[in-house]
Amino acid sequence: MTLPATLEFKSSEPLTLGVELELQLVNTRDYNLTRGASDLLAAVAKRRHPGDIKPEITESMIEMSTSVCSGPEQVRTELEAMRAVLVEGAAQLNLGIAGGGTHPFQQWTERRIYDTPRFRHVSELYGYLAKQFTVFGQHVHIGVRSGAEAVRLTHALARYVPHFIALSASSPFAGGADTQFDSSRLNVVNAFPLAGFMPQVADWDEFEHYFGEMRSFGIVESMKDFYWDIRPKPEYGTVEIRVFDTPLTVARAAELAAYAQALAASVREDLAWSSHPGQHLVYNYNRFQACRFGFGATTVDPASREHRPLADEIVATLTRVMPHAERLGGGDALGRLLTAAAARLNDAKVLRDVLEKRGSLPDVVRAACVAWQGS
Amino acid sequence: MSDLAFLPGWPPLANQMIWVGVVLVAGIAGGELVQRLLRLPRVTGYAAAGLALGPGGWGLIDQPLVDELIVFADIALGLVLFELGTRLDVAWLRRTPALALMGVAEALGAAALVFVTLNVHFGHEPLVAAVAAAIAMSTSPAVLIRVAADLRAEGQVTERALLLTAINGVVAFLALTVLIPWLHLEYRGGWLTMLTQPLYLLAGSLVLAALAARALLTLVRLVGKHAERQFIVVIGLVVLTVGAAVALKISVLLTLLALGAMVRNADRERHFMVVDSGNAGQLFYLLLFVITGARLDLGLLATAGVAGLALVLVRFAGKALGVLAVAPFAGLRFGHAGLLALALTPMSGLAVVMVHETAALYPEVRASVAPVVLAAVVILELLGPIATQFAIRRAGEAGADR
Repeated sequence: MTLPATLEFKSSEPLTLGVELELQLVNTRDYNLTRGASDLLAAVAKRRHPGDIKPEITESMIEMSTSVCSGPEQVRTELEAMRAVLVEGAAQLNLGIAGGGTHPFQQWTERRIYDTPRFRHVSELYGYLAKQFTVFGQHVHIGVRSGAEAVRLTHALARYVPHFIALSASSPFAGGADTQFDSSRLNVVNAFPLAGFMPQVADWDEFEHYFGEMRSFGIVESMKDFYWDIRPKPEYGTVEIRVFDTPLTVARAAELAAYAQALAASVREDLAWSSHPGQHLVYNYNRFQACRFGFGATTVDPASREHRPLADEIVATLTRVMPHAERLGGGDALGRLLTAAAARLNDAKVLRDVLEKRGSLPDVVRAACVAWQGS
Repeated sequence: MSDLAFLPGWPPLANQMIWVGVVLVAGIAGGELVQRLLRLPRVTGYAAAGLALGPGGWGLIDQPLVDELIVFADIALGLVLFELGTRLDVAWLRRTPALALMGVAEALGAAALVFVTLNVHFGHEPLVAAVAAAIAMSTSPAVLIRVAADLRAEGQVTERALLLTAINGVVAFLALTVLIPWLHLEYRGGWLTMLTQPLYLLAGSLVLAALAARALLTLVRLVGKHAERQFIVVIGLVVLTVGAAVALKISVLLTLLALGAMVRNADRERHFMVVDSGNAGQLFYLLLFVITGARLDLGLLATAGVAGLALVLVRFAGKALGVLAVAPFAGLRFGHAGLLALALTPMSGLAVVMVHETAALYPEVRASVAPVVLAAVVILELLGPIATQFAIRRAGEAGADR
């Protein structure tokens, strides 16, 4: 196969949004993961809905993605419409659908890989990692005009990665136990060789050079092979944020997209912005703190060298970018995130509370299914 | 007295304990060999071991030994029926009424073809043929549950096969409950029995099940969310309920199915955990299949084998027709519908019990139709699990090999 010499970056309308959600398919008996993706896809195939519903790497997972949306309201409307179609299909098949970054008690040895060439390739390459990778994330795409903008935005969003993690964290349980992490999902992602943060490339030319080198080493074939927390997506013309756990509700998914969009808007306006040289040094520490402690994390500000409570940082940032959100139609969404951050209430806490009250992990999944269906 | 009197005499006197052990060891070895060497279901190996040790083989399993072991098999059957009952998800049936329709259609399809075959082709009396047709409706709960558990099957075909097994069990029971008094009237006379017996069977089973379900849910709340302790609660109440049903001369099948279904559907807050009876229950299941195997009479194949095979084939055809006719309305892909029909093939050891019970009451049945049904059971006891395993594997619903 001959590959183009450079990566073609498709320009798109700035600040447009796209959201992908990976969802769990469970049975309604003991609420373990079940195999039902192809049956569910067949069941919803004839129904009209916006966006796209497609299979993922295992039969226990299904993905829904919006079309290119102008703002958070459209994201929410599309997600709700797809949810309605899925919920109806699932009811007919007696399947449960749930958000959450991990399934609380599934055994990865039980998983089967969806039968497509790409997934088979991934499975052969990564061995047990591919099956352990039965984790569920939300990806948010933000439209940018050019590769240069994409690299700039990717770097600019780095310091907010702990925010994204704490706000979306919904994977406290894995393998039948409380992991003590608010987001245990990202620990699984870390095991992949090309995970973490994009290298310190200054602009799109450097990025293309880096990509060309990696491809000439035979390490990667396409951008798909990078499992970075945030990555430029040349073929869509977007920056893709991948650190979110799939939240328990589609409302929260739309709120997170609104926050990402408002942050991107503020970065676009701040023409003087440049990456702090210490940012990549503190990145992994801050990210770990957010995964482990959620809103209770303490993160390091590379500029002031201060350790600050993450929840306070999030509240301050939400307040700062609120005008952008209001202009883009995401004011209400940010307001709800603000309430959640002030109360330090994320989905990980919600799930832990269910376990406390009900006493078993199947109860936790059942509650997650109810939450996902909405009211 | 000899100084060596502490030694046993020669040969040592065998006791029942030894034979129970032999049966267990032979069963587990048979299951593993069949699974490893032939990739056939373990339950087929258990049944084969029973057949080899039973009266038709080495004769090791004799009546006294069966009497010793039957309690384990009864517990196993109780557990299986209870678990099947918990699969009767009323909410699902209400959302997808086509599924309930499919259950009734495949049961009636099988019954209709079996009836026509026995009555028209083999010339059995209509009433007797109808009894056999009713028995032929039901799929073996034990085989379905154990084969699915052994394969760690998860998916639409498996789920529906289990649900349909629960439904056709109920339909078969209802049909028999209606037919047996007719037999009674035909051969003995007495309107009172004809009217009151079905009522007693039905109401008695439901009342007993309701009481047991309430007790189970209360106890389950008491012990909390502990799978092991909840399992003991289940065993305790299943044994108690089986015993009570036998004492009251009501249907064990309907009572235990109803118990499972009531627990599943009344427990809105989900205090009852789904208990994996696989590990602790394994012993019971093994003995159930070994004993069922030991009771198989291969001699029937010589005398009624052809008729039995005909019964097997028309029964499958009837079930397949019923499933396929309703499949388009039940959200089931065509290929999966065929596999579903295949998965429903196993005929139960329960059928043997039904035949013997009916035959004991009405010797007319024993002479005429019993050998044909029992020959079909012999065939399906060995081939049925294989069909189910094939269907589940083919549907891509089997988990990794254990």
